[in-house]
Amino acid sequence: MGLFKKLATALGLSKYEARIVVVGLDNSGKTTLINNIKPKKASTFEVTPTVGFQVESFAKDNLNFTIFDMSGQSRYRELWGHYYREVQAIIFVLDCTERVRMCVAKEELDELLTHPDVSNSCTPILIFANKMDLPGALSAVDCMEQLDLQRISNKPWQIEASNALTGEGIDRGLEWLAEKLRGRK
Amino acid sequence: MLSDAGGGLSQGGGQGLGDAPLTIGGVLKEIQGLKDKFKSEDGEDEASPYHALEKATVLQECRAFNDSNVVTNNPKRCCQLITKLLHLLTQGETFTSSEVTDVFFGVTKLFQSKDHNLRRMMYLFIKEVAEATNPNDVIIVTSSLTKDMNSSEDLYRANSIRVLARIIDSAMLGAIERYVKQAINDKNAIVASSALVSGISLFNTSPDVVKRWNNEVQEALSSPNEMVQFHALALLYQAKQQDLLAVTKLVTQLTKGNTRSPLADLNAANARAAYQFLESSLRHKNEIVVYEAARAICHLPGVEMNDLSPAITVLQLFLSSPKPTLRFGAMRTLSDVAGTHPMAIVKCNEEMETLISDANRSIATLAITTLLKTGTEGSVDRLMKQISTFMNEIADEFKIIVVHAIRQLCLRYPQKHRVLVGFLATFLREEGGFDFKKAITDCIVELMSAIPDTKETSLFHLCDFIEDCEYTALSTQILHLVGALGPSTSAPARYIRFIYNRVILENAAVRAAAVSSLAKFAAKVPSLRPSITVLLKRSLADEDDEVRDRATVAIKLLASMPAAGDGEADAGGDENHQSEPVEEDALDGDAETSEAAHLMLDGLPMSFASLERAVGLYALSMQSGTAQAQPLLFSTLPVVEEHVPAPLTKGTSAASKPLAGAGGGFGGGDSRVAPTAASAPATADPTAELYKIPELAALGRVFRSTAPVPLTESETEYVVRCVKHIFDAHVVLDFSVHNTIADQMLTEASSEPELYSVVGSIPLPTLKYDQTGHCYVVLSRATEVAIEPVTFTCELHFKVVDCDPQSGEADEDAEGFPEEYPLEEVELSTSDFMAKVNVGDFRRSWEQMGPEGEVLEKFALQFRRLDEAVAGVLDFLGMQPCDGTAAIKPTGTSAGLPPPHTLHLSGVFVGSKPVLVRAQLAITQSNDTIGCVLKIAVRSDDPDVSRMVADCIR
Ligand SMILES: Nc1nc2c(ncn2[C@@H]2O[C@H](COP(=O)(O)OP(=O)(O)OP(=O)(O)O)[C@@H](O)[C@H]2O)c(=O)[nH]1
Ligand SMILES: [Mg+2]
Repeated sequence: MGLFKKLATALGLSKYEARIVVVGLDNSGKTTLINNIKPKKASTFEVTPTVGFQVESFAKDNLNFTIFDMSGQSRYRELWGHYYREVQAIIFVLDCTERVRMCVAKEELDELLTHPDVSNSCTPILIFANKMDLPGALSAVDCMEQLDLQRISNKPWQIEASNALTGEGIDRGLEWLAEKLRGRK
Repeated sequence: MLSDAGGGLSQGGGQGLGDAPLTIGGVLKEIQGLKDKFKSEDGEDEASPYHALEKATVLQECRAFNDSNVVTNNPKRCCQLITKLLHLLTQGETFTSSEVTDVFFGVTKLFQSKDHNLRRMMYLFIKEVAEATNPNDVIIVTSSLTKDMNSSEDLYRANSIRVLARIIDSAMLGAIERYVKQAINDKNAIVASSALVSGISLFNTSPDVVKRWNNEVQEALSSPNEMVQFHALALLYQAKQQDLLAVTKLVTQLTKGNTRSPLADLNAANARAAYQFLESSLRHKNEIVVYEAARAICHLPGVEMNDLSPAITVLQLFLSSPKPTLRFGAMRTLSDVAGTHPMAIVKCNEEMETLISDANRSIATLAITTLLKTGTEGSVDRLMKQISTFMNEIADEFKIIVVHAIRQLCLRYPQKHRVLVGFLATFLREEGGFDFKKAITDCIVELMSAIPDTKETSLFHLCDFIEDCEYTALSTQILHLVGALGPSTSAPARYIRFIYNRVILENAAVRAAAVSSLAKFAAKVPSLRPSITVLLKRSLADEDDEVRDRATVAIKLLASMPAAGDGEADAGGDENHQSEPVEEDALDGDAETSEAAHLMLDGLPMSFASLERAVGLYALSMQSGTAQAQPLLFSTLPVVEEHVPAPLTKGTSAASKPLAGAGGGFGGGDSRVAPTAASAPATADPTAELYKIPELAALGRVFRSTAPVPLTESETEYVVRCVKHIFDAHVVLDFSVHNTIADQMLTEASSEPELYSVVGSIPLPTLKYDQTGHCYVVLSRATEVAIEPVTFTCELHFKVVDCDPQSGEADEDAEGFPEEYPLEEVELSTSDFMAKVNVGDFRRSWEQMGPEGEVLEKFALQFRRLDEAVAGVLDFLGMQPCDGTAAIKPTGTSAGLPPPHTLHLSGVFVGSKPVLVRAQLAITQSNDTIGCVLKIAVRSDDPDVSRMVADCIR
């Protein structure tokens, strides 16, 4: 980084870059959720299962977000690990109507937490208990228990119930995240 | 390959239109530009960032891709990093798979960038490394690319399509198909071209999907942009080339309409009309169109000299173009023409001589090799001088091409052999890798047999070479050759020193070969026998077993031979050259050498490769119990045929092949080669299949099997091919049926030739979709009646049963309905009963066979050219050409009739009867009609067989 750039960053002339990776089982609503966060929602062509990953970048709250939307299908899950390095935050999306697969989600979360790029960092983790609008959805507290989130002690985490279609709950989660990021800038 | 070629073209045409496309070549400029920019802006740049790069350092630096700040704020640095990576890759640096994975995932993070240059580099990188990367990893970019295909940025759309085409599998293609279709008619030309080019490359893997885009491609054909037109046409041609009618229609449509990019590929059927069109295209203002037209003309099947001339003139101009691509293209086309019409391009000689010093080595090599084809006898010396300086500057692979060209030249001007072989020998002594040295050695050896005059000097050159040769394989090969040929030269004693030096100085393998070689001299030249025996005795103490063994055997055998001087007397009185120590002909030598000596002198009666196959077949037939136990003798081995890579084509294709990849040419022409190769998938040896069938065991051993003959078009519902297996008294017609209809199943397929002597048939029980199966018809042949060509009409009878397209299983209650499918006729010609088998020494066998069973005939044939006549006769007789007589010596003059050509052919007729043929072909002219006169002499032990063979000529 050139000297000018360094100064610019220090003086706040350039916006802060936040890279975020979004993971979670397939069909949990990651892509839908990100589409909802995006400021210009014009380009919403129908959501199809993601193959591999997609990148979105946009500015929000004086932060430049780059979001990696990973595919949740099982054949891609092992590739998530390649994207944890040097991220500022991790978002984990749960489909809280899928009680049966909660244990699979927990396994994937465990995998995430023990990944070398994650385990020793204090990257904040935001968990969305998504699809809260649907009947039979678990509450955020239920999810927290099922995933045994309390054990996470070395990094900030938060769970937020959300509806990716309407955007309900998402802003609350992101505000929490923005605070954590600004605090560390 | 084609997509690269397309890339190259679109670069030429596309630069003015906006974004440069995605090729390494295109990026080189980019790099240069970037480099300059870095200098001025960052000032942190060393002299050349790409000099002496360390892989580890670069990989370390590439971690920057993980840093969002770097990627967003310093795209130039990332570009430079990718350039470094690509530089390493193109330099041949190897990456371990974990390194590739790491870098690959790093690069995928660049999708977040909005910098055009960086995005382009990223696409390029993914495209280049896609093949080297684990396919399971590569698919991770699919969604990102799909998103880019719908982006509003032209650059993203164009490049993402190209990358996707590289990485996608046919299952995934369905999901993105509609976007590609859309892109074909994109208003941006680069996007449209990219989509079309991707179609061309996808065609190889998913032809059916691509064919569905016909409407869009047709529309692209009328695009105002020439590049788009060109790519559309190339794709259309690719999709339709199997279908002659469609191509004709396409060409007519194009020539009528005013397509501005007239780059059609042509076909004999419509050549005339198309020629005029092409000829007019030579005056087009766009030079690429001109080039393609000229190239198309040069590659027209059966094009005549007069028609070539305008195209050659255009190409001649291109030879002095400042653009290397044009020079290369023109040179490459001319070099192709040189193979068929050397005289047509003599007028370009001057330009080509200038090109020898072209900075581009590919162009220079093509120029040299072409000149070697077109050069006149008088220019040989001058050419050789020019080449010697040139040879030191080029890589071995190019040198090999030159060596092959020199061989051709020498065959053409045998009088020049001294200069030419001398030239080759010089390079034998200079630096060079094994392949290069081997190529030279092979050429010299080949020339020795083609031009006997070169024998003695060449032997000396070779002996000289092994004095200082680091390649064991070459040394042993040459020692063997010297042993075989040296004794019959004018002064055999001269070689002994060279050979014995090897016994003293070399490694065990070479020593062993040298010992065998010495023994041959001793056996054949009685006067040398005592002194060689002394030399051989020294090897009895050699440290290597093999050398000792060979020496022991040789000494033992030599001792059993009569001593020099009294040999003639012992061997019987009919020798009339009393004291001549040198035997000109091995035939006469027989009398002198004892029974034991032939162990040492005579090689195997067939090549090792043939022997291996013959023994393999022998074992097969024994296993299946088809043959009664026979002792394993040369005479009882099954006949195996030579695989024929004709020497002539070998030479020419070798000359053009290594260069093909270098430049890629401009357009679609190359794709023509593909279908023939693709439509003949390698099948398991049909003979081996046959032996597995118990019903056929009683027929005995297969004498020979013909090449498969297609009985249907290659793109029909059922593709049927027929292989004829010839047995001593039977013929088995082996129909292989390929089912290409997805939801049908054939049961009880069988085909029936309407011939009375059908003795049995084996139908095929069921044939599912995309499977190939065999059914057989057994014909008996009355062995006492002469073989005559017969034609059978065939029909495929079968029941069609509906089945589940997924599982391929027949529907539960499906009865099926019987159906017939007409096939082309199967012809059983006399030549089918002939196996192409080489005899070692044609002249000798000819004499031995004697004139008792000889048949002489004279025919007037329709051929107008000698090469066609030779090919025709080979086809009629189905025999193996000997002594390189299948190749016609170019005459060097185009005027007048060529001198008559002599063919030597050998073969084995059914019933294991060896047949030899000498044929003389002469082109004659009477009252403006050109024809061909064939005089043929057929020899075999059985006059009936000779007669049948002579009757093969039609
Ligand atoms: N009712 C309801 N449906 C949702 C919600 N979020 C997502 N969906 C639906 O769930 C389906 C899957 O959403 P995606 O965004 O494709 O899921 P994903 O996690 O990206 O899936 P992969 O890309 O395969 O990993 C879509 O049909 C969405 O409309 C939600 O909060 N409520
Ligand atoms: Mg998704």
